[in-house]
Amino acid sequence: MDVLTGLLTTAFLAGGVLALAALGEVLAERVGVVNLGVEGLMALGAVTGIATVTAVPSPMLGFLAALAVGALFGMVFALATVFLRANQVLCGLALTLTGTGLAATIGRNYSGMPAPVTFEPVQVPLLSSIPIIGPAFFSQNILVYLIYLVLPIFFSYLMFSTRHGLNMRAVGENPAAADAAGIPVNLFRFSYVTIGSALGAGAGAYLTLAFVPSWSDGVVAGRGWIAVALVIFAGYRPIMATLSGLLFGLITALGFIGQARGWPVAPAFLSMLPYLGTVAFIIVPVLAWQKMRRAMAAPAALAQPYFRDMR
Amino acid sequence: MQLGSLRLQRLPSAHPGIAFAARAAAILIALLVAGVGVAISGMNPFELGGRVISASFGSSFGIEDLCVLVIPLILTGLAVAVGQQIGIWNIGAEGQFYAGAFAASAVGLFVPGPQWMVLILMFGAGFVGGMVWILVPTLARAYANVNELITTLLLNFVATLLVYYVSTGPWRDRSGMANSATPPLSAEVPSFWGIVHWGFPIAIGLAILVAAALAYSRWGYEVRLVGSNPSAARYVGIPVRKHLITVMLLSGGIAGLAGMLEIAGTVHRLQGGISNSFGYLGIMVAVLARGSPIGVIFSGALMAFILNSGIILQTQGLTTSVVLAITGFILFLTAIGDELSYYRVTRERA
Repeated sequence: MDVLTGLLTTAFLAGGVLALAALGEVLAERVGVVNLGVEGLMALGAVTGIATVTAVPSPMLGFLAALAVGALFGMVFALATVFLRANQVLCGLALTLTGTGLAATIGRNYSGMPAPVTFEPVQVPLLSSIPIIGPAFFSQNILVYLIYLVLPIFFSYLMFSTRHGLNMRAVGENPAAADAAGIPVNLFRFSYVTIGSALGAGAGAYLTLAFVPSWSDGVVAGRGWIAVALVIFAGYRPIMATLSGLLFGLITALGFIGQARGWPVAPAFLSMLPYLGTVAFIIVPVLAWQKMRRAMAAPAALAQPYFRDMR
Repeated sequence: MQLGSLRLQRLPSAHPGIAFAARAAAILIALLVAGVGVAISGMNPFELGGRVISASFGSSFGIEDLCVLVIPLILTGLAVAVGQQIGIWNIGAEGQFYAGAFAASAVGLFVPGPQWMVLILMFGAGFVGGMVWILVPTLARAYANVNELITTLLLNFVATLLVYYVSTGPWRDRSGMANSATPPLSAEVPSFWGIVHWGFPIAIGLAILVAAALAYSRWGYEVRLVGSNPSAARYVGIPVRKHLITVMLLSGGIAGLAGMLEIAGTVHRLQGGISNSFGYLGIMVAVLARGSPIGVIFSGALMAFILNSGIILQTQGLTTSVVLAITGFILFLTAIGDELSYYRVTRERA
């Protein structure tokens, strides 16, 4: 009981990073842009968060500042990939290298220092007294509710139940047809890549202001790449992306518990779990669920720049 | 697109001259931005630049440093470039580098025997180590069409953790004070000029060999055909899957060899962080060379200079992460320049 609560508490907390970043990537990929810069955006968000709260002791301000920085870098990335139609893979890798390098350079002054203020847990009245799930989920910091409830439900509704969402998916599936129907393809792509990038950087701030909570070089540790992989695993669906983030939170939590309880496995091997798990989770479904392939398929125009004058 | 009487026309293939010029411009702009950044932080960019030039080229020690740095960069660049020939993005060269270093160290630490024999076994182990590390992504790509970008990349973290674990744990040097590295390896790649070891000609020779195989052999022709049009290649009966597997394994093996040469020629022991992000910088090397194995030799040299500048400037309070940031910026500008090199400006006739 106690172990289970502890496991779930850590799982929700750890999974939030991946859930938020994966949700952002779902938005970008649904409109047909693959953003491989998530890792760099998370690093930038993480350092922005810690730098902001060091100056002004407000975790919310730190989170918002990270969103702004993410949006800014997202716009530069979108400008290059959507309007100038540069190679998305290269620009994404560039964003990862630049973001990671820049964050490490800026973050040197904050290295190893615990965050002066963090997001504190909020007890939800009544719900927090439910056994197991109450302490595990309803006694978390406010971002956890945003990440697991508000954002996925909102974006899922937007994407699958509104006209706007239909347009959005059309842009990712067949930009030429969308364009012919009068949908502003590039504007859609630009906007959602920007929003997605902001969420990616927000995930970084979550890391340094709620989960770890401190900055050190390499604190992101590939979580951005795991998030990109989760999008495939989640079949490009917001709610599924959130749930798979939680699943990976669970894997991370298992590693923590293993270390805390002194399992006879070296910590390094427990740390490998999320990466090996991700590799397994993007390979196994392809082999196991052949019938699901169509439903889980990537948007048809993913990673393809759109040229109106060349069909 | 129309601008007055001028018309912007997108050509089906890029103009190599413009693509080359775009790379030069990208590097110049990035250095300019870096210089402005340095100036803003209160240092004199010209003085730092002068210091870098004199430290790199002013003495034979500087040039030796560059030659040692260029070895892993040529090889990881070559690993990525080989993949690009068939349309594969191997961004796991960092992990394969560590895996190669790990396997070669295992031989160097535990296999007794004469130097030359251990050394040959280390070469083999390094290559095979890299191949093993890319095996799962390769099979997943070849048989289930799983995107190799993410699988190769994720394994980087696993390899880094593995090397960190063995060099601080079971293989740790228990004799001395250094407790985060293995004891010195029993065999090493001999040097021929100062600290420059035989890895230097091996790396260049391998790049030339791969270039020749791609340009003149039947295998190379078929690989390039698959790379430029996979469905056409399939229709004419080229074994696409087989080529995909061999090229990916070759790519991983070359990156593994880079790791082996780094520990057997330069560092002489296995420790965490032996790679100065060589695997990631290899992507940059390959892109600058436009995927050409011969070009990799030159872009590798350029990248070695940039990385070496970062290392020299460490004493000035800069870190190698600045190099990573600048590299990313160059990569970004190059990607834009590459797309622009597809365009031609023509004058509309009335």
